[in-house]
Amino acid sequence: MIMTVCTCTGCSLLCEDIEVDIEKGTISHAKNLCRKGWAHFQALFKERTKPTIDGEAVTLEAAINKAAEILANSKKSLLYGWSSTSIEAQAAGIDLGKKLGATLDDTSSFCEGTLIELVMAGKIPTCTLDDVRNYADTSVFWGADPSNSHPRHLSRFSYYPRGEKRQKSYEEERSCVVVDVRKSATATLCPNYYYRLPPGADGQFIESIMAALDGKIPKFGDKKRMIELGTLLRKTEYGVIFPGLGMVLSLQEKMDLLQKLVARLNEITAFKVVPMVEHFNTRGFNQLLLDQTGFINSVSFQDGAPVHDPEQSVIAAARSCDAALVIGSDPLSALPFGTARALAQKPLIAIDPHRSLTTDAAKVVIPSAMCGLEAGGTAIRMDGVKITFDPVMKSDLPSDEQILVMIKEAI
Amino acid sequence: MDAEVTIVTFEDIFQYEAGKKGRYTDEYRDLSARIILDKQDMAKLGAKDGQKLRVQNDIGSVVVAAKASEDDPHPALAFMINSPWSSQLVRDDICDPSIPGFKGIAAKVSPTEESITQLSELLQRMRA
Repeated sequence: MIMTVCTCTGCSLLCEDIEVDIEKGTISHAKNLCRKGWAHFQALFKERTKPTIDGEAVTLEAAINKAAEILANSKKSLLYGWSSTSIEAQAAGIDLGKKLGATLDDTSSFCEGTLIELVMAGKIPTCTLDDVRNYADTSVFWGADPSNSHPRHLSRFSYYPRGEKRQKSYEEERSCVVVDVRKSATATLCPNYYYRLPPGADGQFIESIMAALDGKIPKFGDKKRMIELGTLLRKTEYGVIFPGLGMVLSLQEKMDLLQKLVARLNEITAFKVVPMVEHFNTRGFNQLLLDQTGFINSVSFQDGAPVHDPEQSVIAAARSCDAALVIGSDPLSALPFGTARALAQKPLIAIDPHRSLTTDAAKVVIPSAMCGLEAGGTAIRMDGVKITFDPVMKSDLPSDEQILVMIKEAI
Repeated sequence: MDAEVTIVTFEDIFQYEAGKKGRYTDEYRDLSARIILDKQDMAKLGAKDGQKLRVQNDIGSVVVAAKASEDDPHPALAFMINSPWSSQLVRDDICDPSIPGFKGIAAKVSPTEESITQLSELLQRMRA
């Protein structure tokens, strides 16, 4: 048995301590993989795509040439996805977008983009997950359920591990708060600090916390429990809020309420924010696009210079484009019906190692090596730390980056 | 009997695992095509676990299986796992910015004898 140490690209924790032994087309042994990671690795051998045009099997070269032809003939193309591929592929995609005058977008435009943008701009203080492990005594999961979305978050970083200044860990030194509209799996782990909200009440809850911190009577929620929460936050030495999609979608344009809360907490003690980004390299795409254009998502190169506005988000661009390329995403499974339907009715190119609703609807399917398992590269973890990974097994398939370069060269 | 509910979507690790095995598997469909309802709403609908329910709004309509919530009471609030089934009901012309898209889907739920909506049917709707 030869165990290979590798990185899991199953979620944005990018766990680097995975050990696997892959032989004869199966994973014979594995260490440190969570259920999500195990499923991600098992997907190496399931539902793999083949190159097709209109559902008919073709050569890889023919599929790439057809994709190039569709994009070359397009006057307004959309290049969408990017969250589950490497920075190298994202860079190749941005190059392709510039050549085509295309619109580029990822899931952050309708998910956590508003928060990610504030964190990346330094308008909300943040920290690394290693800081969380070493220093944090209070973690607040708000509209987030890491037990399902990032299964090793609590064990590697936020609740269970011993850290440099947290040798007694969750038994005595760490508290975990969950704010959610339902009793999630994570909420059951810390019942004393589970706060249940009605949908859309996150703003009121923030105002109530602020009141409790200031010694006023909270107007929203159970007064006694809100005061208990205020006391916990006041006593915290190093706190971290982990906002999930639930909080971000609830606050939306009222993200200044979170900024005010974090600013108030930092007058009392140290408090940071780390967005619970879902896909393994959303932050890579956001950072790369920001560096190149000044915007984290929803950018059009149609007039040469980058333009950023709501019309360039996938919700709008899916309707206005005349062709689309999807990579590192399955929008037909995840996007609202109207947007998914608009995409499905366009000439669609899907670059994906696996069969999905999007590949089933695509005019052209281009199979790629699984990023992180069959193709190496770099990605940015949810906390902004860059992680480099090597493939754990060989593949005859090209990487996402190689495919994008080939398409660009064929145009 | 109908019930008006607000649906909040969420992520589930077991459904994620089933999806990795294959989107068209029975396991993925069974875990995705279901709605978790408060026991009071289940009683109002005369539904037990597994009862087929039509969930519809002005965006779309799907038939899914009922599951009684084990959470504290939450009448008129329902939960669905993020999936192509829940996405059928999500609006993308956000009207109420405080409770948008995926986290506040207004829908009507009613018992039905129709079959659970298949993934292939959802794909057909998108391509139609």
